[in-house]
Amino acid sequence: MDRVIMHADIDHCYAQIEEMKDPRLRDIPMAVGGDTEKRHGIILAKNDLAKACGIITGESIPEAMKKCPRLKVLHPVYGDYVFYTEMVKDIYRRYSDRVESFGLDEAWVDLSASRRLFGDPVKTAEEIQQTVLLETGLTVSVGLSWNKIFAKLGSDMHKPFGMTVITKENFRDVVWPCRVSDLLYVGKASARRLACLGIHTIGDLAVYPLPLLKAYLGRNGELLHRFANGEEAEPVKASGTHRTVKSVGNSVTMIRDVHDIEALRPIIRVISEAVAARLSEQGLEGSVITVFLRNADLLWMSRQRKLADYTAVSDGIFAEALSLTQQNYDFSVPMRSFGITVSGLRQCASHHQLSLFQDPDAYEKSARIDQAMEMIRGKYGFRAVCRAVTKMDEELTDFDPKGEHMIHPEGYFTGRRMNDESL
Amino acid sequence: MNLYKKYIDVELLQKKDGEIVPQFLLWTDGKRYPIDKVISKERRASPVGGCGMRYTCLIQGKRRNLFLEKDRWFIESLRP
Repeated sequence: MDRVIMHADIDHCYAQIEEMKDPRLRDIPMAVGGDTEKRHGIILAKNDLAKACGIITGESIPEAMKKCPRLKVLHPVYGDYVFYTEMVKDIYRRYSDRVESFGLDEAWVDLSASRRLFGDPVKTAEEIQQTVLLETGLTVSVGLSWNKIFAKLGSDMHKPFGMTVITKENFRDVVWPCRVSDLLYVGKASARRLACLGIHTIGDLAVYPLPLLKAYLGRNGELLHRFANGEEAEPVKASGTHRTVKSVGNSVTMIRDVHDIEALRPIIRVISEAVAARLSEQGLEGSVITVFLRNADLLWMSRQRKLADYTAVSDGIFAEALSLTQQNYDFSVPMRSFGITVSGLRQCASHHQLSLFQDPDAYEKSARIDQAMEMIRGKYGFRAVCRAVTKMDEELTDFDPKGEHMIHPEGYFTGRRMNDESL
Repeated sequence: MNLYKKYIDVELLQKKDGEIVPQFLLWTDGKRYPIDKVISKERRASPVGGCGMRYTCLIQGKRRNLFLEKDRWFIESLRP
């Protein structure tokens, strides 16, 4: 028997949660976005009235304000978004033990086995939508299909509060006319490459000869071909399964290109802090440091080093990342993006191996500084405390890699997490 | 009828089994109103905004909706 997979997506999530909290916001154009004074603050979500003014998710706040001067921009309250989206997912979990989150606002729910308990999946999906509305005041759009890819595609087709059922009978009519960029994993770059082959719709991709596609795009081509034909068979992960994290990393695309190591130093500092904070949050420490460097010509490289001992402190990560960068990058071309990843992870040991040649208290001291900074930031916000070095260039270092980016931190296939914040 | 979202102080009884039962409303005028009975308890969204556990209560012979929203209480109030 075919699988039945539902993908549910909370309609313009952050904005809708704000409207739910304060219904008066439904009557004015409103968006949720970063800091208005900061030039890189962007629109994260908007309501229908803001959309009618032409506001686009991802555009800068000044651009948006130009289009709609009376736009009300609210600061994101991530704690609330996590709380209410989890409440919605708890409702999904009443209907299936297989609920896999994809970011805060989206989830796949495997209803295959639920059929025996709840009957017709379309009715069940409707019931889920109604229950979410009744109990949380939020609307979700859903897609139903026999695979995760088409289910996700379906949830995007009719919004808000929509439902799209994609079956083996109708997918050629429903899915194939869609643009190929609507498919999960086809970004701008892939869409451009596919366009060169004359592939513009998902249908074009589905009927393209597989050997040719593989020759042009490699394994990725085969994968996309399977997606387009509905042959994807990834299971929906059981609720409560956590993918083992293999690495913890953060990266940033700088607000302007960086020309020397001195200018990069504060950025390395900010990212080291974020990586260290995320490591200790999960009780992990790592022994391999990798830096990712991308230059203004968009060429990138990564360099890594195995450490003599495990570390979870920002000072240690900073020092290694700095020296790796110094040894491997000469700044003949300015740098555009920078990232640090720590891998070779293990659960934090209660004791640390001391080195004969290092100050035995230094590690403890660094760890305590990290802890204190995290506590202050947890209570008073990210900007409440910072290292003096980040004051060297406040515009360049004015980002919070750990806190600000919460959309789709997970990849579809792997357990690797990489936060990338564009400035 | 226009309703308003009004956050209020509530005195609670927490039972041995973990159940929470609201006992008194502390109104802004300083008065302490006993909650005579909790008629029903369901997860609901409120038309005045917010969602959570809705306690439909009998207070001085009238039905009132009291919400536990995240970690605080509000009432669907007749007055702002």
